[in-house]
Amino acid sequence: MTSTLARAQGSATAIRWPGSSLWSQIMILTERSLGALIRDPQIILFGLLQPIVMLFLFTQVFANLGSTPNFPPGISYVDYLVPAVLVDNAVQSSLQSGVGLVEDLKNGVVSRLRSLPIQPASMLVARSLSDLTRGVVQVVVILLLATTMLGYSPGGGFGGMAASLFLALMVGWALGWVFLAFGTWLRRAEPMQNISFIALFPLMFASSAYVPVADLPSWLQVVAQVNPLTYAVDATRAVALGFANTSAVVPAIVICSIITAAGVIFAILGFRRPL
Amino acid sequence: MTALMPSRPDDRQPMIEAIDVSKTFGSVCALDSVTLSAPRGSVLALLGHNGAGKTTLVNILTAMTPLSSGTARVAGFDVATDARKMREVIGLTGQFASVDERLSGRANLVLIARLLGADRKAAKRRADTLLEVFDLTGAAKRLAKTYSGGMRRRLDLAVCLVGSPDVIFLDEPTTGLDPSSRINLWEIVETLVEQGTTVLLTTQYLDEADRLADTIAVLSDGSVVASGTAAQLKGQVGQLSVTVTLEPGHDPVAACVALERAGMAPAIGSDGVTITTPVGASKELATVIRVLDDDGIEAAELAFGEPTLDDVYLALAKKTAHQPA
Repeated sequence: MTSTLARAQGSATAIRWPGSSLWSQIMILTERSLGALIRDPQIILFGLLQPIVMLFLFTQVFANLGSTPNFPPGISYVDYLVPAVLVDNAVQSSLQSGVGLVEDLKNGVVSRLRSLPIQPASMLVARSLSDLTRGVVQVVVILLLATTMLGYSPGGGFGGMAASLFLALMVGWALGWVFLAFGTWLRRAEPMQNISFIALFPLMFASSAYVPVADLPSWLQVVAQVNPLTYAVDATRAVALGFANTSAVVPAIVICSIITAAGVIFAILGFRRPL
Repeated sequence: MTALMPSRPDDRQPMIEAIDVSKTFGSVCALDSVTLSAPRGSVLALLGHNGAGKTTLVNILTAMTPLSSGTARVAGFDVATDARKMREVIGLTGQFASVDERLSGRANLVLIARLLGADRKAAKRRADTLLEVFDLTGAAKRLAKTYSGGMRRRLDLAVCLVGSPDVIFLDEPTTGLDPSSRINLWEIVETLVEQGTTVLLTTQYLDEADRLADTIAVLSDGSVVASGTAAQLKGQVGQLSVTVTLEPGHDPVAACVALERAGMAPAIGSDGVTITTPVGASKELATVIRVLDDDGIEAAELAFGEPTLDDVYLALAKKTAHQPA
């Protein structure tokens, strides 16, 4: 073994590569995360569990909501619900970005990568991109189930579905960066899971996601009106249903962009802190 | 041997160098004026218990943690100002850096090679060479999480060698390994050092430092309390000892008197039936037996003690306490 080692390590054959560009670092690391996801698709399955349960449960439980006075006329509850489930999926799976990063921090993978001559931010961008890819898969699965099994057929048609998919992914991308930022500062998974469970889960209910805001108790209406998720859900729903009034879309995009920018800045700052 | 080594312009420059390095976390002083150095192709061992400051020092030398004061250079690069260049020529293992458990052994190696700038083909070639060298070819496609402890360590070391580093940092490389894997790893390290690699290793085992290190620095509470070759340290702080357990009915005090007469410095153990005495060399075991036998004292059991890290610590603590303030 020693002679082979000498050959591998000896100065005559010493291998030195020129280093990689930021772009290739991001691509290589994204490929790494996606590779792990393909070999171990549990994360996708578990991520899909809650949205799918909600989809099937709520369409049964709240089926009659479609006939209440505050409900948009002529729209089935399934068509009303699916865009909200897309946003819920984005919200729930964004936590996974932070958890994945914390895992890499804990098991020493981040240390290994940081010991290499690469840009540390490439690890964050790669994580974000691979989670975005996972998000696309999950949203497509939800849309396929909803259209084939629950008769989801929104007024916006295929274009509306595509636009709602795009908006939901944008929400997931923005919140993903928020959890990446939490991950770099907290460096523990439990507090992030608590934030997700205590803040995001109730916020989904205190929004226009499952019932029209006007049907909520008055104090919850106040919360719903300042809840960014209301904008996200309203925008996603408006494009899916093909509403002429898409005034919620611009605020949703603006809010998402601001949250993404803040997340990126705090994530990079947090990641720079010594390990 | 020296003549055969390729001469390099910076051969005399230390490859690892810390001058007066201190690190404070808030009000806690983790490292206090640490100075040490290692020339090219040598092994520097950091010996110390958990919390002694080993990891902090390695984190500073690898530019993972900024230092509070002092200067540190690795491979000639100042870690505070030239970290990126320095990273091109170092490798990390153990708790400092780990393999990705969700990737196969081969994928781990390919990943690092590609990040270092190798194209896919070159990266795979490098991975296969290292897999062969480290006897992992058969397990190349298995996920790293299915590896045994010894295989993991070998993969870890292989990953750290992908870019042919000049300096490698090994964190407790043999903790938890079976004896044959342990010796196997030691041999690998020795070969690397022959090739001119400079190694910094942390360990809790004196025998490991003894076998591999050219210089040992003992860290305690953030300070280097002793440094030198293994032989120097043993002479300075630790010593061999013999522990005698007496047969029932025999007087430990009488045994002590007998041993003192032979010029030894025995002490009665807290249990009242064992006596421990430092000895200069292993052959003095025979002297202990003879002296006790001459006085008709019967030993039920004799145990031979090598100096341990604890002995080193105890001796050093005693020495520090006796120093005038």
